[in-house]
Amino acid sequence: MRPSRRFFVGITTIAALFAVWAVLTMVTGTVSTGRFPSPLQFWESARQVLTVGYADATLFAHALHSLKLVVMGFLVAIAAGIPLGLLMGWSRRAEAFVNPVFLLIRPIPPLAWIPLAILWLGLGDAAKIMVIFFAAFVPSVINTFTGVRMIEPHIIEAARMLGTGRRRMVREVLVPAASPMIFTGLRLSLQASWTTLVAAELVGALAGLGRVLNVAQQDIYPAMVMVGMAAVGVLGWATTRLLAMIEARAMPWLPARA
Amino acid sequence: MSAIVFESVHRQFERDGKSFPALDNVTLTVADKEFVALVGPSGCGKTTCLRMAAGFEAPSSGRVLVGGVPVTGPGPDRAVVFQQFALFPWKSVEDNIAFGLRNRKVPADERRERIAGAIRLMGLEGYETAFPHQLSGGMQQRVAIARAYVLDPQALLMDEPFGALDAQTRVVMQEELVRLARVNPRTVLFITHAVEEAVYLADRVAIMTRRPGRIKEVIDVRSIRAAEAWDRHERVEDVMDLESFVHLRTHIWRSLREEKVGGER
Ligand SMILES: Nc1ncnc2c1ncn2[C@@H]1O[C@H](COP(=O)(O)OP(=O)(O)OP(=O)(O)O)[C@@H](O)[C@H]1O
Ligand SMILES: [Mg+2]
Repeated sequence: MRPSRRFFVGITTIAALFAVWAVLTMVTGTVSTGRFPSPLQFWESARQVLTVGYADATLFAHALHSLKLVVMGFLVAIAAGIPLGLLMGWSRRAEAFVNPVFLLIRPIPPLAWIPLAILWLGLGDAAKIMVIFFAAFVPSVINTFTGVRMIEPHIIEAARMLGTGRRRMVREVLVPAASPMIFTGLRLSLQASWTTLVAAELVGALAGLGRVLNVAQQDIYPAMVMVGMAAVGVLGWATTRLLAMIEARAMPWLPARA
Repeated sequence: MSAIVFESVHRQFERDGKSFPALDNVTLTVADKEFVALVGPSGCGKTTCLRMAAGFEAPSSGRVLVGGVPVTGPGPDRAVVFQQFALFPWKSVEDNIAFGLRNRKVPADERRERIAGAIRLMGLEGYETAFPHQLSGGMQQRVAIARAYVLDPQALLMDEPFGALDAQTRVVMQEELVRLARVNPRTVLFITHAVEEAVYLADRVAIMTRRPGRIKEVIDVRSIRAAEAWDRHERVEDVMDLESFVHLRTHIWRSLREEKVGGER
């Protein structure tokens, strides 16, 4: 399908869903607005949190707070994860050392770190970053590692034949050769970052979108819950798009994907 | 001095937990600045021989020496043209060719000049900034040859370097290789399936047996080329028409054919 046509079809689908939503809640009343808010209630709640604020801050402040934590946790995780993955992929000895630790940590779901993070670091930002770190670290290490192991042996042999030193081998051979897998890891890491952040904020937080969701739930305010969910969705989508744009620019040599 | 010497080289490989011999007592010398073509049935161990000289692989027993020194690993003194090209997909044609020179810290001016020369030689003008996936198989192969050539190595190890070229380009490259060998002789180990190509290019042609590979026969082409004055002819097809050429070619064909009939596959 042509991009413009694709876009049109997408818009139509969403508009149709909106119409069904409006009809079921506002016209026929099939769905009780006490449980599932109407588009109008949704809009009112959005306006409230955007202007006056909700749970001690405006939507913008909550969103910025969550975004900041995700970006920080994600960056710290990949700054540690990619080099470790490269090292493990390149050196069997490093893999032999690190892998047992990984086998131990990997089966623990990232969310299971939340209680420990709160006990150690309280309800503030540090605990959130720790939890995001554990969630985002693993996929970036594993995919980078796999990416290095999947490099065509001939490519590495060609580099060695050309007398490539260690630094250039890493920067100009291993990283670009493994980069499709590295980016797969980054996408998974980013997703995991959002998931764990929201979960950690739900358990306890002083600000952030998870706190909006939590307070709205306690206030029995479904429209505000949905506004919070929508905000998480929009931010998650935007960061994923940004990563995809970086990915496309970072690997200009790949044949264009349709 | 950069003679390549194989001394009673054996090589075992493992498959499905069973060990089998791929090379059985290969002894062969490529003298300094000599061009030796290696021909033999598929799977007889030609690539394995070349990989040992390159330093990617070690013999199970026996020795491989280059310039009198046992090979311990790969290096830019022995440039390899891989059967599978092995270009860097993320680097442009130019950057692929430049890679080895940059490793050696060749000054930028000289580097540019040598790269331009290699690009001209291989007929890659206009494709300097293209990525490998944007080139045809034959052009990718020419980039791989340029990447090796530009290093001006002591020894060239070429694994079916013209295999992916069309017949016309192949002839141009063959003539070019002969011209280069005259002005700037190099020690070359050259693997090919094309018997005519081997006879046309090589000083000597080494014929291998089917697996496990041994050197069955080494044909001295150089003395016949000199005696029959092949070099009087500029063009490949004229040389290939000469009676002495046809005679050698047929001899090698027969020798190879014996290896294929009843050969294990
Ligand atoms: N790493 C390896 N492990 C196991 N077996 C191998 C390995 N490398 C090569 N072999 C085997 O050794 C034999 C010789 O292989 P080689 O690639 O040297 O053949 P070749 O003469 O170059 O063949 P072709 O003309 O088809 O390229 C083959 O039977 C191959 O399967
Ligand atoms: Mg081969």
